[in-house]
Amino acid sequence: MDSIVTLKEITKTYRAQKAVDHVSFSINKGEVVAILGSNGAGKTTTVMMMLGLLAPTHGTVQLFNKDPRSKAVREKIGAMLQEVSVMDGLKVKELLQLFRSYYPNPLTVEELINLTGLEEADLKKRTEKLSGGQKRRLGFALALAGNPDLLFFDEPTVGMDITARGRFWDTIRTFAKAGKTIIFTTHYLQEADDSAERIILFNKGAVVMDGTPQEVKQKLSKKSVSFITDDEVPLKVYEQLPKVTHVYRKRERVYLNTDDTDAVIKALIKEDYNMSHIQIEQGRLEEAFEQLVAGREVL
Amino acid sequence: MGVLGMQVKMEILRILRNPYFVFWSLFMPILFYFIFTKIVNTGAADQSQWQAHYLMSMASFSVMGSAIMTLGIRMVQERTQGWSTFVRITPLSGSVYFFAKMSGQMVIHILSIIVIFIAGALINSVSLSLMAWIGSGLWLLIASLPFLGLGILVGTMKRVDTAAGVSNVVYMLLAITGGLWFPMDILPHFIQAIGKWLPAYNFGNGAWAIVEGKTPNLSNILILTAYLILFMIISNYIRKKQEAV
Repeated sequence: MDSIVTLKEITKTYRAQKAVDHVSFSINKGEVVAILGSNGAGKTTTVMMMLGLLAPTHGTVQLFNKDPRSKAVREKIGAMLQEVSVMDGLKVKELLQLFRSYYPNPLTVEELINLTGLEEADLKKRTEKLSGGQKRRLGFALALAGNPDLLFFDEPTVGMDITARGRFWDTIRTFAKAGKTIIFTTHYLQEADDSAERIILFNKGAVVMDGTPQEVKQKLSKKSVSFITDDEVPLKVYEQLPKVTHVYRKRERVYLNTDDTDAVIKALIKEDYNMSHIQIEQGRLEEAFEQLVAGREVL
Repeated sequence: MGVLGMQVKMEILRILRNPYFVFWSLFMPILFYFIFTKIVNTGAADQSQWQAHYLMSMASFSVMGSAIMTLGIRMVQERTQGWSTFVRITPLSGSVYFFAKMSGQMVIHILSIIVIFIAGALINSVSLSLMAWIGSGLWLLIASLPFLGLGILVGTMKRVDTAAGVSNVVYMLLAITGGLWFPMDILPHFIQAIGKWLPAYNFGNGAWAIVEGKTPNLSNILILTAYLILFMIISNYIRKKQEAV
């Protein structure tokens, strides 16, 4: 596999605080990866280290097997960062031309317009006169100017309206089909689920999960089998059943938490416990995620 | 067009479109020139010498202003708005970016000098020998380097407001104590004594000497060089300290 991004044991310490704590992962060519987590989970810091804008306190980052700060790497990457305003005093077209001149194989201005939803009329406007939405589109165009192989987006859809969002993800899908590698951060599970093939979940500076959206959702959601019973069977007995992760009682009902409700039901029936009103609950995913990022749940 | 050429061109465009530049570095010096050579009678013995002298004062005032303020404040803006960070992920190298900024600024200085010289020729038909025009122009261009250094130093400040405030005050104080607004003789003696050691006076004095057919004093050159080195050392030190965090 072609590993394009490699992070090895990255730690970033600000004063005594660990913003990023022993993070390791690699990303292959053509992957669309969401870095998911709440604000302050270390997503932006990690992106900044991948871009070579911040030096890790420990560990190494490599893009295309090189130092992210090398010119060869910069020619192949593009990024949209948070809190970056655009250079003022220039017209949109002039800024696009300037950016195109930095790269060996830039996209044409027309291609950039088509991809980002900038309009012909915007080209003649000074950058400081653009609306918030137009600035985001221009930022997107600047990220794409060099026709990069690897793209970074830090919270890309913040400040975009629904149309702009749709267009943004459409363009991302086109790029992914063309074999480009895309890394974006978000704090919306839904967005990560819709748009990424892989989710790296950050919590408190560390990677807590890394897998397909399906896998992550499965691990996040707490499924359970519950039933009403008259038996005075100690809860510990149920805990011995295969695949059961946690058992508790709420009024007359016994709940068995599990990843695999089918296996638990089979086991319960096999043991022939006295059960009535059996229910399977899928667990609410968003709720589980909220709890995780709010730090109430320890994984 | 190469990367550098493109970058320089854009820097120049940005300065020309900056209303503060047009106001402080072109409009104000020409207005002052008009007032103090046409309207207010300064009682100078030799009117045509005064007109040439004050033209150099105003050209110095203009170049000094764009070097300290336009450059310095813009550098702070680019850093606080994340633009400098963003440029670091493009293939454009930091040194080309910096060199383009300086070159663009120098082109602007040439342009300002030419505009103000033409204004002098038109308003008072100031006539100098070709050598004096070129010589004083070159002096104003090359001796403006310490002010670029000062601009870069202003550019290390954290907030745009601070940079704008500080550079405005420094600019005005330098202009007054350097005898750019009115001849130094009318200032109190102790201010004159301090002013002679500050960069603005040494900057203006070189140009004044040239239009009088003399050459700039060695002390002017040495003091300006010392300031250039001093400003570079301080801003380098500050930048290193900022990067370390």
